[in-house]
Amino acid sequence: MERNTQKNGLVNLVVAGLMLVAAVAAATLVQSLAGFAASAFLLIGALVTFVSWFQMRLEENERNEKLELDELARSRGTSLFEAKDSGSFPARNAREQFEKFIVPAFAVLLLLIEGMAVWVLWRLSAKYPVTVIDSKATASLSLFAIFALVLFLFGRFSVTIARLEKNRLLQPGAGFLLAAAYVCAVAALGIAGVEAKHVHADFWMARVLCVLLGLLAFENILTLLLEIYRPRVKGKIARPLYDSRVAGLLAQPESLFTTAAQTLDYQFGFKVSETWIFQALQKNLPAFLLVQITVLIVSTMFVFVNAGEQVVLEHCGKPAAVFGPGAHMKLPWPIDKAYRFRTDQIQSFAVGYTPDEKNDSPIVLWTVAHSKEDNFLVGNRTVVPSDTDTNAQPVGLISVSIPVQFQIVNVTNWIYQNATPDELLQNLATREVVHYLAGSDMNDLLSYGRLAAADTLREKIQSAADARNLGVKIIFVGLQDIHPPTEKDLAATYEQVVSAEEKTNTTILNAQSAAIATNYAAEATAYSLTNLADAARIRAQTQAFARAAAFTNQIPAFEAAPSVYRQRQYLQAFAEATAGARKYVLLVTNTSDVVIFDLEDKVRADLGNLIMTNTTP
Amino acid sequence: MKKNAVTIAIAALLLVIFALLLFTFQVRQSEVVVVATFGKPTDTKNEPGLYFKWPWPVQNLYRFDQRVQTFEDKFSECYLADHSLVLASVYIGWRISDAKAFYPKFQGGSIEAAQRQLEGMLRTAKLQAFGSNSLANLVTTDPAQFRFEQIEQNIQAGVQRQLDEHDYGIKVEFLGFKKIALPEKVTDSVFERMKAERNQYITKAQSDGDRQAAMIKSSAERQAADLLNNAEATAKRIEGEGNAEAAKTLPVFQQNPDLAIFLLQLEAMKSSLNQKATLIFDERTPPFDLFRNLPAANSSPTQ
Repeated sequence: MERNTQKNGLVNLVVAGLMLVAAVAAATLVQSLAGFAASAFLLIGALVTFVSWFQMRLEENERNEKLELDELARSRGTSLFEAKDSGSFPARNAREQFEKFIVPAFAVLLLLIEGMAVWVLWRLSAKYPVTVIDSKATASLSLFAIFALVLFLFGRFSVTIARLEKNRLLQPGAGFLLAAAYVCAVAALGIAGVEAKHVHADFWMARVLCVLLGLLAFENILTLLLEIYRPRVKGKIARPLYDSRVAGLLAQPESLFTTAAQTLDYQFGFKVSETWIFQALQKNLPAFLLVQITVLIVSTMFVFVNAGEQVVLEHCGKPAAVFGPGAHMKLPWPIDKAYRFRTDQIQSFAVGYTPDEKNDSPIVLWTVAHSKEDNFLVGNRTVVPSDTDTNAQPVGLISVSIPVQFQIVNVTNWIYQNATPDELLQNLATREVVHYLAGSDMNDLLSYGRLAAADTLREKIQSAADARNLGVKIIFVGLQDIHPPTEKDLAATYEQVVSAEEKTNTTILNAQSAAIATNYAAEATAYSLTNLADAARIRAQTQAFARAAAFTNQIPAFEAAPSVYRQRQYLQAFAEATAGARKYVLLVTNTSDVVIFDLEDKVRADLGNLIMTNTTP
Repeated sequence: MKKNAVTIAIAALLLVIFALLLFTFQVRQSEVVVVATFGKPTDTKNEPGLYFKWPWPVQNLYRFDQRVQTFEDKFSECYLADHSLVLASVYIGWRISDAKAFYPKFQGGSIEAAQRQLEGMLRTAKLQAFGSNSLANLVTTDPAQFRFEQIEQNIQAGVQRQLDEHDYGIKVEFLGFKKIALPEKVTDSVFERMKAERNQYITKAQSDGDRQAAMIKSSAERQAADLLNNAEATAKRIEGEGNAEAAKTLPVFQQNPDLAIFLLQLEAMKSSLNQKATLIFDERTPPFDLFRNLPAANSSPTQ
């Protein structure tokens, strides 16, 4: 029997070695982080199986040596106690030296490997969270599943043998093999997750395995520390330092059950572990797991499609159907695979600008950039034609903001024609905008051309998308903003043009107002002139007739007393005429007087001008 | 024993399933698969479906996406035939036309490696296409000069020619400009020119306004002058008519011309004298001749 366990140890070593090589190859093939973590675990397992097998050999040699010495003693008739020098027991010495130096050193080596593996894998997974090569995933998944199965069979067998034989040296390797089976299953699960489009599944499985390796390292440190203070009792066989309790716990799920049962018993105050349901669960765990797997497989036979979604069904990679909303059946994964898309959802992207969610200004001005805007080259006719203007560069720059909304109308075209259909649609739309602007006039676009531009662009983008079989309908193309670039105050000069036009209009309106005033004043003056002339005419006529009539009446009076009448008329007229005039009357004397008159007008009246009037009658 | 049999059966079933996965492979609608036996490409699967193969390492599969791949090259500077400089980037759509030819040319049949290679070819083709065109062929309002699409086609043809020469197993499906711009300094110059153009427009608008205002004012003044001239002429005519009518009364005065003249003189005297007039009379002027008969004691000038 003793020989058999050693053979078991050798088989474990061979299996662990082969699985290690295969796992490294499979992990490299698919670039799986969890696969590399499983490989690290297998490396530790392989080393443990090797050391335990070697130690088994040493113990075997020691036993043989003891038997030989016993045989020799019987034949010579001497007691074994006669020769106790160290040179008489080389095998025992070798085993003791091994346990004293090599085993602790190996435990330290394991600790270093575990620590290094955790450090490297943690950093690697942080740097490259998605590494699995999709095209290799299925093969690697199968390989890791097979590794798990093989390791499970061998590990389970060895664990049973170790338990039955109570072989403390077979146990560590067997435990690691069985634990490695579960670790490989975890790695396979991670790759399967990636296959099922959960791209971070491998990353998270790798992290879980890193934590496990970290636990092993922590346990190793504790074991080494405790080993220093462990009381050495002669004859008592110590547990090997490399025998991991964590790995043993993983390898024997029933021990987990026992621990859980004890916890529940303590917690509830009665023997929960003796209830029928707990015992049934413990007894039929494989069956429960099988049922669980079956349910999992059956669940992949149903597809529930939500409103607004479409599901493309592939049968062995071949498009078989497109499911609308509702419940549908299919063959289990991986025969039939379903790919889900939100086809009714209106999707959108922007051309010419990057929407700035932080900018919530209620005012949108040409002179202020309201998002990250791109400048497009645009044709530019000369605004003011001139004979000398021949060297002007016939281009301008313009900023446009064009939101594009679309809907997937043919989902199979959308997914099978182009690798990145959304990116392609954006490229096509941008190209149409660039093309349209390059052939248009800037001033036309800024004025009447913008109305036609949105419709034209929508048609062009739709045509381009149809030409590439994208399977989309362009719902809306909005030319929500089009203006000169904000850089270098260029947009401000456009505002100045508007201001100048307004000023021009103001000048013209003012001139028109002045013209109206001038014309009206002239009309009024003309009217006045003609009216005055008419009045003068009437006055002249009337006065002439009146004077003639008066003269006719005056003639008899004159003829009656010519001199008196004449004198009376003269004096009356003189009195009236000179009533307001300043009068000087010079009386003639015999002397020659020189009279000086100051005939200057007084600017301001003074007391000298005061006319005293006699108010008394 | 029974429990072990169940375990072994389940294990065997799982083993068969996983082994089956190793001996079969699926090809999706969007994929093309190259089957290599001991490293040598022996078969290509273009059609979707389930196929058998020997497990790794006997046969190895190389899967490629046979859909159109799109990538955008760098925004690079290009020299034009008219000595202009533009910055341009294009997007290119390509697909693997011959997977067997494709995968040995790029490490592991890497799409990224292929695109890096394509980018180099694209750069060359782009420079060639731009070198034979001017800026006016790229951006203009004149349809006769506009060669935007031809330039795109030339670049596409240039890339495809290079690919075909060395059998890359790649076909360029389409190509288009993603962005065209001018270098920064040229862009600044364009901004300045555009501003100058706007200023020219401002000057034109303002001058046009002044011109129109002056014309409107001048026209109004001329109309006013015409109106006044006509009014004055009309007034004169009316006054003349009045005078003519008044003159018809003159024969009445001819009955006694001396009296008529005397009365006219009196009216003229009344009209010509006003408040400011200063008159100097001597004692001979009636009615001041009354002063001559005054007593001698009172004979002194009086105002």
